[in-house]
Amino acid sequence: MKNSIVALAAAAAFASSVGLARADNVITLGASVQLTGSSANTGRYYRDAYGLTIAKINEAGGIKVGGKTYKLALKILDNQSDVNLSVRQYVQLITSDKVNFLLGPFASNFALSDSSIAEKYQIPMVQGGGASTQIYTRHYKYIFGTLPAADDYYASTIEMFGKLQPKPETVALVAADDSFDVSVAKGTRERLKAAHMKIAVDATYREGNSDFSSILTQIKAANVDAILWSGHETEALNFIRQMKSLNVNPKDYYGFTVGVPTEDFRKALGKDANYAFGMTSWLPSATLKDRWFGDALGFAKAYKAKFGYDPDYHAASGAADVETFAVALEKAGSLNPKAVRDAIAKINFSSLYALHTKYGENGQIILPQIVVQIQDGKLVPIYSDQFLNKPQYPVPPWNKRG
Amino acid sequence: MMGRWPLVLAVLVAIVLAGVPWFGNDVAVQFGINALLLATLAQSWNILGGFTGYVSFGNSVFYGLGTYGTAVAMTHFNLPFGVGLVVGAVVAMLCAALVGIPILRLRGPYFAIATLGLNGAMAAIVSNLPIAGSNIGLVLPLMRGDAIFYELALALLVVCTLTVLWISSSRYGMALVAIREDEDAAGSMGVNATLYKVTALVLSALFTAIAGGIHAYWSTFVDPASAFDTTLNVRMVIMCVFGGPGTVFGPVVGSFILSAVYEVLASEISTAAVLFFGLVIVLAVVFTPKGLTDLMAGARRSGWRYLFRNIRENRL
Amino acid sequence: MVLAQILLNGILLGGLYGLMALGMALVWGVLNIVNLAHGALIMLGGYVVYYIFVFTGLDPFAAIAVAMVIMFGVGFLLQYGLLNLIVRSALLNTLLITFGLDVVITYLAQFLFTADFRTINPSYAGANFSAFGLTVPGIRFAAFVVAIALAAALWWLLNRRPLGLAIRATSQNLVAARLYGVDPRILYAVTFGIGTALAGAAGGLYGMIANLTPYIGASLTAKSFVIAIIGGLTNPFNVILGGIVVGIAESLATLYFGATYSDVVSFGLLVLVLVVRPTRTLRAA
Repeated sequence: MKNSIVALAAAAAFASSVGLARADNVITLGASVQLTGSSANTGRYYRDAYGLTIAKINEAGGIKVGGKTYKLALKILDNQSDVNLSVRQYVQLITSDKVNFLLGPFASNFALSDSSIAEKYQIPMVQGGGASTQIYTRHYKYIFGTLPAADDYYASTIEMFGKLQPKPETVALVAADDSFDVSVAKGTRERLKAAHMKIAVDATYREGNSDFSSILTQIKAANVDAILWSGHETEALNFIRQMKSLNVNPKDYYGFTVGVPTEDFRKALGKDANYAFGMTSWLPSATLKDRWFGDALGFAKAYKAKFGYDPDYHAASGAADVETFAVALEKAGSLNPKAVRDAIAKINFSSLYALHTKYGENGQIILPQIVVQIQDGKLVPIYSDQFLNKPQYPVPPWNKRG
Repeated sequence: MMGRWPLVLAVLVAIVLAGVPWFGNDVAVQFGINALLLATLAQSWNILGGFTGYVSFGNSVFYGLGTYGTAVAMTHFNLPFGVGLVVGAVVAMLCAALVGIPILRLRGPYFAIATLGLNGAMAAIVSNLPIAGSNIGLVLPLMRGDAIFYELALALLVVCTLTVLWISSSRYGMALVAIREDEDAAGSMGVNATLYKVTALVLSALFTAIAGGIHAYWSTFVDPASAFDTTLNVRMVIMCVFGGPGTVFGPVVGSFILSAVYEVLASEISTAAVLFFGLVIVLAVVFTPKGLTDLMAGARRSGWRYLFRNIRENRL
Repeated sequence: MVLAQILLNGILLGGLYGLMALGMALVWGVLNIVNLAHGALIMLGGYVVYYIFVFTGLDPFAAIAVAMVIMFGVGFLLQYGLLNLIVRSALLNTLLITFGLDVVITYLAQFLFTADFRTINPSYAGANFSAFGLTVPGIRFAAFVVAIALAAALWWLLNRRPLGLAIRATSQNLVAARLYGVDPRILYAVTFGIGTALAGAAGGLYGMIANLTPYIGASLTAKSFVIAIIGGLTNPFNVILGGIVVGIAESLATLYFGATYSDVVSFGLLVLVLVVRPTRTLRAA
């Protein structure tokens, strides 16, 4: 029993001693991110983007808040892809590490839980890792997000279908059963209905599933025109490989919510990645002007140079989260959480991530998804609200490819 | 079997712990809620696992049902938290009674595996139930006031420990231990083994479910992956076994120590914490397979050689 | 036609499932160790095959043979150096130590191999052929054949070779093993090594069908469990059969209830088999 008191006391002492030694001209942003565990593969985008953007802002002299110049600092913890641990770490960040503001974790289920802590302690959190609508329907005041709403992920794709020849009529909708993908599927169903397209197969699979042969067999039998798929990257890879080995050929189109824009995806599949459609809320283009990086291209270059791999929309979204704080802090002219929160709600600036970085009533950014396709091993933007490049359409069957 | 002083000490510790929200900081309270709930889980596991020797990996089923019972009652039916806890506890106890009768007939590894399977099945079933939010989970209303959760968790642990104290000194407990030592002999001596085992499982389910309910409201979000988490169940087992299964205070002490170690690891060396967690389990099993209480007794008798005696006893 | 194709998918997948469970059943039946790290060993085997394939360009099926030798060594050392130390302690302790091992192996895998997805992707990975109007994926078919062949080899070893007889004798009675003139410590290590080699082969085949990540272990352990229990621990062919039963059940569940129900079916089967026929699954001892 004595041991337990000692242990408790020791834990408390340790916990309070790890607080950062804070200089009074530093603003610390705290985050708990998946650095290890099953989501570490995407978690790293956030760690790297947060670090790079903060370094860049400091290089430019920091930010001016109420006539005083501050540098930014980052305190990042590893939640080991464990939701419960991430919740505890956010409390630790706020109460013992005394960070000023919060950046988010990756993935909707994490953002969902962790944002409760931000709300509880009334510390603004800007997160770029969760897109599920569930995060924003709780009327929380202190949570903002830079990923567009999951319901709308296939909006631009379905709009594009209307302008394609031949127009796809029957669709197989395949989605994982987690928060984000269920939101996507729900929104997509409504949009397909509005566009008078028929959902011939509507399958939900268990998150983490690795065998799609039964679903693919049903899709093959239904002989659909298009497959719209929503899930996680590793599952997307399995799906495509099994599509090929079971010789499943939708007549016109197959598209994915995740995976296609990443380098990993193309590397893992080789030439089997060709023709796959996908989407991204961000592409490194010179039209996205940015105060610190010049433009999105500059960001992509700096990122690749520092970390050795290409950034994708996760990274850009993470960078936008940091910039949101920088801009909002200068505008608020104070470090008061409430004042900063109100400033975030009102900002509208051009960043490397979005021409209009601003947040809707519920705290979520509004941003169209750009349809992309892999053509000859390269990622090509196809459609946003108009065609950007010519799609390779309809997609040829597996046995007719070179 | 136990002197007065551990009881007195325990009461003092409970009083000191009750004061933490007043003189501790938020992190201590946060850590405390977790540690207290985990200790409750280890202690409830002890009721069946420690006394009868039946190794259950199905306690996370009761934890999950408690979690979901509370969450569904609060979000779908707008019932108050207290009612939610009762709903969760009743559902979990019913489940324990219903599944306990068939699976408690199994012995040894087969019971353990069946409970493991039960947990997998239950997680999969819940993730298909629209009323439970399917695999997305449910969002509970937000309540500020960690001190309340802390005191609730502490009260639950105290009640659970008192229950175990009663068990350890009652005829009921003796019957459970008789089942552990030799179930067939206990049966032939007139102990209704099934009845005893099932009631132990139901008691275990009661406290586990309430702990789950408290955690659900506190964390404001439940989903099947975290509610029916096998790792959590393994943690209960390790904490109980480490502290001393079948004892009154062992599981509590064991879980406090391990929680503290894990918390320090997680915040100090963040990424390697998991590795150390695994290594600690491996080393603990090799060197102290009979738990902390046996370690303290053994170390007093034969010093560090105790560790190697264990290896000698268990190696091939 | 859809039903026939789905049955075929289930059978082919079931063969691989069976192979995954084969090593676990052997170790469980003979050494009485319920190895919770089995899935992690499958994962490790997958990575070994992956790296042999990537660095030497060896055909993955040949690489599996090499990987089996390596994994045999890993298993032998694990048992000889660590698990032999606790093999006589309570069941709970073997469960805990293998759980701890699972955590350690998973962490080390992530550290060494990173969390990036890996795929063993030979040029013929997506090839398929048609038979009776059904599409037969080449790799899955080959995996099925390999699984059956390895089960047959294990059966032959256990029933026709002196080593196998000694292993089987050990599962009945530790002292009996000495009659065969083998040190039981070595015999245990060899048995665990064989189990690990089989896990390695399963991992290699898995990596050709689905992605490898360091985190696939836990679900593969669970699956192996279910199959080992359904198939029983004594006859390798029954284990494969158990795999096929689970494979078919999961495929049918996907067809009739939806893919989110496949876990309900396989875990439900496990509990059902245990509760309805507990004696059948008891080991020969």
